[in-house]
Amino acid sequence: MWKPACEANRFVLPFFFGSGGGQKEDEAMSSLEIEEKSIEDAIRVACETLKLPREMLDIEIISRGSSGIFGIVGAKKAKIRVRPKKTSPEVLLERAKAILEEILRYVKLPVVVDGELREDHVYLNIISNGSGLLIGKKGQVLDSLQYLVSRILSKQVGQNISVVVDTENYRSRREESLRELAQKLREKVKKTGKPITTGLMNTSERRIIHLALKDDPDVRTKSKGEGTMKRIIVYPIKQDKVKSKRTGQ
Amino acid sequence: MLKHLVEQMAKALVDNPDKVRVSEIEGEQTSVIELKVAKEDLGKVIGRQGRTARAMRTILSAASTKLNKRAVLEIIE
Repeated sequence: MWKPACEANRFVLPFFFGSGGGQKEDEAMSSLEIEEKSIEDAIRVACETLKLPREMLDIEIISRGSSGIFGIVGAKKAKIRVRPKKTSPEVLLERAKAILEEILRYVKLPVVVDGELREDHVYLNIISNGSGLLIGKKGQVLDSLQYLVSRILSKQVGQNISVVVDTENYRSRREESLRELAQKLREKVKKTGKPITTGLMNTSERRIIHLALKDDPDVRTKSKGEGTMKRIIVYPIKQDKVKSKRTGQ
Repeated sequence: MLKHLVEQMAKALVDNPDKVRVSEIEGEQTSVIELKVAKEDLGKVIGRQGRTARAMRTILSAASTKLNKRAVLEIIE
């Protein structure tokens, strides 16, 4: 039920997850085989490589190894297979809440952090006095909190976890206004027949615009720029080219 | 207060939390907070294209606003 997020932006431990979608949960979390002189050495190397404490690892012993005669002849290396332990969704939620509360402790505001597990992410809601301080300009503070909580949580559990931090329904309000913007852009592009470029947007904002216009036969959208913040260009599609959009060319 | 916020965030992000050092140089209005981490952890507190550092700076600014102060985060190599 719990699926790790496969978002290109997350890069804490990229080798845990295949980049391709549609993988099963078990396959997505790849294991690591380690050969060392002894089991103890192998476990130590595993902890260092995965940067996780021993209790966070599932360890399977493939071969115990033997020191051979006088430690030279016939020595066989010990071999283990390790993978990060799966953290239960309930624990993830508790940890995510704790991380956010810990950061907010230093912001002099009365806050309560509420949270729930959603289909593909941990959702945290900050209940505060509504000053807007935690949202910031264009949601920058909220995005920063979200990014840090996700990074810290992913590091703690050894798998990439998607976290959404919200307050005062900012996320859904923002989504609504972006959908409206998408429709306005669509109308304008259709009317003038000329492409329009939007302001800088982050990944999730761009996603909303792209999705809103995905199936529209009159326009197509494209991201432009480098880094996490990019612009979207909305292009008109001439009627004789509608067919090529459908075939994806 | 602000110093501890930076310390808390940095320690949670790095592999060597015991090597995190934070000092605060308080000015009349502006505080400069200097963050030092182990060399191999530098990338962890900066992040790809400075994203982690930017996020910490944004949160620091929000926290200092409430204290009617300004704070600048410097990451020392």
